[in-house]
Amino acid sequence: MPDHLHLPDHQPDHPGGTAVAGTWDVRITTPVGTVEARYTFAERDGVLTGTAESQGDAGALERLTAVPADDGVRVTWAQRVTRPLRLDLTFDVVVAGDTLTGRSRAGRLPASTVTGTRRPAEGSPQTPR
Amino acid sequence: MPASTPVPAQVVLFDGFDPLDVVGIYEVLHAGTLVGGPVVPELVSGEGPRTVVSGTPGITLEAGAALDPDLPGYVVVPGAVGPVESAEGDADTIPVLLARFAQSAAMPLVRRALDNPGVTVATLCGGSVALALAGLLEGRTAVTNAMGTDLLEATGVRVADARVVDDGDLLSAGGVTSGLDLGIYVLEREAGPRVARSVESIFEFERRGTVWADRGVEPRPL
Repeated sequence: MPDHLHLPDHQPDHPGGTAVAGTWDVRITTPVGTVEARYTFAERDGVLTGTAESQGDAGALERLTAVPADDGVRVTWAQRVTRPLRLDLTFDVVVAGDTLTGRSRAGRLPASTVTGTRRPAEGSPQTPR
Repeated sequence: MPASTPVPAQVVLFDGFDPLDVVGIYEVLHAGTLVGGPVVPELVSGEGPRTVVSGTPGITLEAGAALDPDLPGYVVVPGAVGPVESAEGDADTIPVLLARFAQSAAMPLVRRALDNPGVTVATLCGGSVALALAGLLEGRTAVTNAMGTDLLEATGVRVADARVVDDGDLLSAGGVTSGLDLGIYVLEREAGPRVARSVESIFEFERRGTVWADRGVEPRPL
């Protein structure tokens, strides 16, 4: 079970934020091709933020939530993509250790598969389990 | 009666296009010229003159020129045909065909055509989805074939519930046979209702429904 930090300004949407922080290499398998992107999550004062970068197109993640679940931390967000194609995507993934898996959707289309691995943090200790 | 100045309608072909999308509107506009209408269709591609293989086995068409976005008139963008969900054998699904078209050489030309005040871009079927995936229709109102509505909404387009949508310099129509309605509407716009009715009569086809446009009273929900 992930650690819960006692946070002075507890944000109900991000109780699992510390397990998510870091830089992630993510692969999204869509009906129109596979997209590779880099996600960076940061947790500060109990608030989780995230950005995504792919093919020179970068953007902030919106409506980001991170909630402990039975199999890890469930993270959801919305993202406006312009490259390689213009699409509004929503994501629903589970972070377990240094891997994430889940789904991405564009509107009511069938979901795409999302997988990712966290890059090792440079010079910092292992995340406690 | 003096002949009116020809109005070119460049119909953009791409790999996997739906031939009925293309031929329907092409013949409507051509029949218009036979009865005195001004809109003259021609087949083009984003890559220049070439044989273009449709999504229907056995049918190819010849693009005679590259799409010219500086030519005043119409640019007509058809949709694709193929399997909808998972591919059967090697055939690409419709979303894949449209996404490929959205990233092709045609799209920067279509963007210039949209920016050209002398050009009206008219899409039918999945043609609007391809333009939307390329980022050309942000915030615009358009329609596509019924099966593509979810995808069109996910591109930032406001989808109207109508067979033909008139958003000013952007016309769009629904699936396949809606291209006939679009062609009749273009004839009515350019040559008036009598030419449009004449072609409807020749084709034994009557345009269906009211063309959506952003004017008049916003209806209340019941």
